[in-house]
Amino acid sequence: MFLHPWAVVLGIAAVGLPFAVHWLTTPRPTRMPLSTLRFVLEAVRQHRARHRLRDFIVLALRTAAVLLVAFAIARPKLGEEPLVSDSQTGSAIRVVVLDVSQSMAALHHGVEAIERARTIAAEHLRYRPGLRVNLILAGASARTAFEQPSQNFEALRDELSQASVRPERLDINRAIAKAAEMLATDSEDDRRRELVVISDFQRSNWARADFSPLPQQTQIQLEATGAEAAPANIALLRSQIQQRTAIGGATQFEIEIGNYSPLPQRITAEVAIGDATFRVEGMCPPNRRTTLAQEIQLQQTGWQVGTARLTGIEDALAADNERALVVEVTAKPTYALLTRQSAGQRPSSSYYLERALAPDSQLGERASVDIVRVDPANIDRERLTAADLLVIDHPGKFAAEDISLLAGLLRRGRPVLYVAGEAIDATNLRLLVEAAGGGLQMPVDFAPPPQDQSRRDLFLTSVQQDVAPFDVFGDSRQAITARLRFGGGLTSNRLENTLDDDLLATYSDGTACLVLTSSDAGALAVLNVDLSRSNLPTSEAFVPLLDQLVQRLLQRRAAVTGAMGGEPVVVRLPSGIGAASELQIVGPQPSESELISLGEIADEGIGTVWRWPSPDKPGVYRVERGDETVFALPVGLSAEESPLESLSPDVLKNRLAGTLAVHYRSATDPSGQRDVLWTWLLVACVVCIVGEFVTLTAFRS
Amino acid sequence: MSTQTRSRFLDLRALAALAHMRFTTRHRIEGAYSGRHQSRQQGGAGEFVDFREYSGGEDLRRLDWKVFARTGKAFVRLHQDETNLLCTLAIDASGSMSFEGSRGESSSKLHYIQYLATALTHIITQAQDQVGVAVLDDGVREFIPPGGTLTHVALLQELIEHLTTRPTTTMAGSLRSLFERSSRRGVLMLMSDFLMDDLEEVFAVLRLFRHRGWEVVVLHTVHPDEERLPDGAAYRFEGMENEGHLSCSPSDIRAAYQSRFKSHLAMVRQFALAGGCDYRLVSTAVSYLQTLQGFLVDRTG
Repeated sequence: MFLHPWAVVLGIAAVGLPFAVHWLTTPRPTRMPLSTLRFVLEAVRQHRARHRLRDFIVLALRTAAVLLVAFAIARPKLGEEPLVSDSQTGSAIRVVVLDVSQSMAALHHGVEAIERARTIAAEHLRYRPGLRVNLILAGASARTAFEQPSQNFEALRDELSQASVRPERLDINRAIAKAAEMLATDSEDDRRRELVVISDFQRSNWARADFSPLPQQTQIQLEATGAEAAPANIALLRSQIQQRTAIGGATQFEIEIGNYSPLPQRITAEVAIGDATFRVEGMCPPNRRTTLAQEIQLQQTGWQVGTARLTGIEDALAADNERALVVEVTAKPTYALLTRQSAGQRPSSSYYLERALAPDSQLGERASVDIVRVDPANIDRERLTAADLLVIDHPGKFAAEDISLLAGLLRRGRPVLYVAGEAIDATNLRLLVEAAGGGLQMPVDFAPPPQDQSRRDLFLTSVQQDVAPFDVFGDSRQAITARLRFGGGLTSNRLENTLDDDLLATYSDGTACLVLTSSDAGALAVLNVDLSRSNLPTSEAFVPLLDQLVQRLLQRRAAVTGAMGGEPVVVRLPSGIGAASELQIVGPQPSESELISLGEIADEGIGTVWRWPSPDKPGVYRVERGDETVFALPVGLSAEESPLESLSPDVLKNRLAGTLAVHYRSATDPSGQRDVLWTWLLVACVVCIVGEFVTLTAFRS
Repeated sequence: MSTQTRSRFLDLRALAALAHMRFTTRHRIEGAYSGRHQSRQQGGAGEFVDFREYSGGEDLRRLDWKVFARTGKAFVRLHQDETNLLCTLAIDASGSMSFEGSRGESSSKLHYIQYLATALTHIITQAQDQVGVAVLDDGVREFIPPGGTLTHVALLQELIEHLTTRPTTTMAGSLRSLFERSSRRGVLMLMSDFLMDDLEEVFAVLRLFRHRGWEVVVLHTVHPDEERLPDGAAYRFEGMENEGHLSCSPSDIRAAYQSRFKSHLAMVRQFALAGGCDYRLVSTAVSYLQTLQGFLVDRTG
């Protein structure tokens, strides 16, 4: 393929030039009678072969030089012809998809991928008669320059020049769907359809690409901006503090490091949260994710914001070396224990629960948890509302209004642990499920055990060992649970179209032992056992098992761990923070809060909800009432953007594109440098000319 | 003698410088008349040379009676006869002798030979010797036997003046014919470029002359452009003896050509010396007077 094909024709015609030069430069012989012609004949005969060789070499070199010059002028191109290029003519609709996800900020040889992408995109936004183009900036959402392809190339180039990397992951299928809408054809439209995708083709978000929505005749040109070998990148993928951290209490701080480099790295992260600062260090093996943890104590209550930052790191993508942090430090948690059993009844099921939930209750004020007993027959609504966890054991039959109260608290995020040891508990649970509505889909239906069936000496047969609470036992789980014997409780029937994961453990008779089900913002755990008829309370497994279960319930209550840039945010704000009209949203830079969209807060049936279509900037966004922060939301980068490894071109062309015509071109691949051969042709031409002089000199000597 | 001459090749003013020089031979010769050259005859009229014991059958007139009277032994007095020179100038009139190089007609080998031969006829006859001319191509085109009269010399010079060449590649036949037509011994001076196909046969005939007692002088005439080819980018060389033509660049083949031409010169010289001939290379680049002077000086000893 040539940029100037006419030069090839000219060159072929010019091959006659050396012959013409040879003929023109051949001296006209002077006629001269010679007496010694015989000796001349002998000398010529001796030199004839040598001179023929010289003439052949010289003529060949001259011819080659002319051809090389002609081919150099023709500008031959290496590799396959792109499916979309300026050399094509005719009417066409072209959609240029420009990847503006966070990974496009990665540096390669000191240049960001987005700059390379911008240059490539500009080539596809040049005017050509009959060409209509649109530009899609692809991130978590697809933003188009125009509603339809346009011939306003100047505006498109302006849009391109203003495009910048966004702190988002790439949802390529959204961009493809948007492009498919623009490229959709009808029977009378025979214009050529062209799709140009300019991206780093990250494996993490291109592996799910689906080109099937595109019209079948679409010509797809994939322009890669990334390096063939993934540049080294170290990323802070996650930073997390256990939610609802109690003041003065030890809590676990975790960061997850992604080492996407070929060498192990020693990582140091500096963390600042509220007034506290600390440092986390550790070794991270190559090409793996590593979690580093440290126990910390926070001394201030309320919403604390901060950042975790990797130090001493020089990698391709700097944006993922920092991540925002939010934690709500609360006062000592309070658990409400709803039971008919009196505190002095020992041993009893409620006694076992109280001791297990607050092992250090004998410390009095210094105990880590306050347990409040509530009589189900005389429920104090305020105490229930103030409690962080509701524990129900031997409650008897709840009144209808109490069921409604419990269901409301459950939906608004209050976790409930129900220890079902009596037949009446089946009725309570059924009423609770009905009151919670469709948001509570338990995997089993509990029922009172038949009169003739004695539930005793039951043991665990099926346990989800990798999740809380059973993961706390580790490798000893089998030995510990094998010694447990259970009695009492309810029978259960498995319900269809419910989640298997909600059923955490089952008994040897097939009935449920432990169920944990979400209900809107809250969660309901049902421990189907009569503790007084089991050896569980006296085993070493009881306290850790119950502690893990409670922690899991409390974590679910405060499950808002953060949002991703560009992704829609819908957050149910904690109950009791006030009406939506009293709340305002403040961004990381308070001065910019009025200039950018931070979403809207509205009062809805299930509580106060914050809806935000697209967070634009990483950082901590706070909901304030007056000067008080009542909620904070960290917005960070998607971990998908950190591994910079590109998807293989073969996968893109053969597997993902299906039957569509696809051409892949890399901006950094030497084989993709299509217009460099002419320089080598000129060098070869010079070599031919030098060779001619050398030949002539050699044969002359 | 009048300085007026009919031959344009005879320059008496130039030859006046050579007037005191004579062409001599290195061998005893036979002549028609008494002269200054040693004769092959040792009669009683010449200069006394030696005594020799008488042997039966000898002419008694040469017996030295005085010695016989004193010693009683018979001795014969030996005298060296002196005779005149009979010189035949054999001129090669083949086509190659017309070669004039890149300088024009006045520098051709034939032109040079015409000067040289005319001067030789003059010098030889001035010494009371006789000179003849044979023009050779594929046969003896012209042959004038040696003579010494003014009329004879004028005839020779006229013949030399009007010499022309003919394309021929052989000369042995014409030399043999000359040999057969020459009755008396003398000097044969062969002026040729020896560019011929029958070179060996030519020297075979020359050896016949030598066997008969002739003194043979070979004047090998070459042109400077024959020695190193003319300068210039390209030439179309045309054979002068119907050899066709060839276009080439002299610079490309000069080295090989010179090698072959030197081999040719060496071969002619070798043949000449092996046949007992006196060989002299004559280049037309040298003035014929200079060549003639050198030749005569060499001859005089």
